[in-house]
Amino acid sequence: MIWWPPAAPWTQPRFCEPCSNLELIGEAMLAREENELLTQTDAGTPAGNYFRRFWLPVLLPTELPAPDCPPVRVRLLGENLIAFRDTNGRVGLLDEACPHRRASLFWGRNEECGLRCVYHGWKFDVNGTCVDMANEPAEYRFENKVRTTAYPTCEYGGLVWAYMGPPEHQPELPKLEWARVPDSHRYISKRLQETNYLQAIEGGIDSSHSNFLHASLDAFRVTDSYVEKVKKSNNLRAKYHLLDKAPWFTVKKTDYGLVIAVRRKAEEDNYYWRLTQFLLPSHTIIPYQKGLSIHGHCWVPRDDHTSWVWTVSWNPDAPLSHEDWQTIRDETFVHAQVDPATFKPIRNKDNQYMIDREKQRTANMTGIHGFASQDQAIQESMGPIVDRTRERLGTSDTAIIAMRRLLLQEIRALAEAREPFTARHGDVYWVRSASLLLRRDVEFDEGARDLMKAEV
Amino acid sequence: MELNGRNGVSPEEVNPAHIVTVTNFSANTLRSIIAHIEVSTEFEHLVYREAELDAVWSITGFFLVNEPDSSRRETVKRLHAGVHKAHDLVAASRTVDAAALLRTLL
Repeated sequence: MIWWPPAAPWTQPRFCEPCSNLELIGEAMLAREENELLTQTDAGTPAGNYFRRFWLPVLLPTELPAPDCPPVRVRLLGENLIAFRDTNGRVGLLDEACPHRRASLFWGRNEECGLRCVYHGWKFDVNGTCVDMANEPAEYRFENKVRTTAYPTCEYGGLVWAYMGPPEHQPELPKLEWARVPDSHRYISKRLQETNYLQAIEGGIDSSHSNFLHASLDAFRVTDSYVEKVKKSNNLRAKYHLLDKAPWFTVKKTDYGLVIAVRRKAEEDNYYWRLTQFLLPSHTIIPYQKGLSIHGHCWVPRDDHTSWVWTVSWNPDAPLSHEDWQTIRDETFVHAQVDPATFKPIRNKDNQYMIDREKQRTANMTGIHGFASQDQAIQESMGPIVDRTRERLGTSDTAIIAMRRLLLQEIRALAEAREPFTARHGDVYWVRSASLLLRRDVEFDEGARDLMKAEV
Repeated sequence: MELNGRNGVSPEEVNPAHIVTVTNFSANTLRSIIAHIEVSTEFEHLVYREAELDAVWSITGFFLVNEPDSSRRETVKRLHAGVHKAHDLVAASRTVDAAALLRTLL
């Protein structure tokens, strides 16, 4: 039997029926079980076990600015923890609940190399060992037998990292380029996003949204003035996005994750390539143009419904420039201003991300200021965990399909006791993204090989 | 499209590293996808095949919603369900089974 193309223009399906009707038709392409497998990261879940095989960013060092400073609350992978910097400057990360009567150690006194619970005086060092039980008579003290949950930490690349997995599987630190440049060459921001980590990563690797969500109206409408502006600019992305609106997508599996390549026709015999890096478990690097600063993210599950978004801008060769700092301060690109105590963005869903409808009518697609806030608004609008059983994907979603498939493979492999290769091989993180022109007969992984090597 | 090659698709058109253009659920589209499935071995190839089947499934899904009275409804419904099964087989690297299943829908 043969199906002929229907008369309707299928590239522009009609949406007159409520989309919810679609769920009546067959099962979903990403099964509910797979969606749950990918998005649930509490202790004991398969994805939670997987994330617990990696060092994860936890704090900006400025959150614990000095020895014996006040402790701070940390929520990570569904666990409530307390971080403190002891008298010797070491960072401890303990279960928030005191093992004695479950009082919060957030109220604890940070004193003489330990955090003392103010309820009954039990005191714990950074390793979780109880070093004092002040409320017990001397002859009944058993502090040397009491421990609380404590996770190893380290300060590296301008962040405090933690490892929450089994001690025998403690991994190497990822040798990410941004973690190895001098402090003056790097800026890191932290923000709370009210979604599961997975849809945040999906936004980070979805190349096709930037021409819409982040576009100015001039760029979207391709006005004459925009074309003239682009011609004079050295921004390759803007130039070649104008020339080719229907890019070709491809992915390549690597030791560390994926290279996501998007190809556009350029002049004569060239293609313009944009190469995004996805590094397991949840790092991404945005395509960068040689000579400019580089930007990347790490998306860390806070719990199943919220994530920590770590955004990094760095220049491997020089301190960040005046223009870089201006962009950061103006929040026009990947960084967004946050409340310094909660890390909730100033533009957030409670204030509709400060949308300016007049600006949306006259200036840009969203009326929301800055790429970070635009991404956050859209991703949060999908709900805390997007119901992927109701999606309708197309071939432009190849990168998202590949990333999910890779994560599913990794999570299932660990469930079968096959340890993740990447966690044990910090050197494989030694890569960059790229955007470049290549002759049409040159494969991107060949032509961009040198450019994708980190240098620092 | 020349129909004397693998599943009616000429062999030189079958490169598993390329994504089949899916704008409809015609027999030719399906044949091309089947031919690509049959030569797909790498992770990347299987991802592209998933993406193509996702697209066919989306288009057939929209058809079923938007054309409730179509005389082809039952046929498209079978295709929609078959593509779903083939997608799962591709995701499990069972390309031979996926291609065989899709051929039954031609």
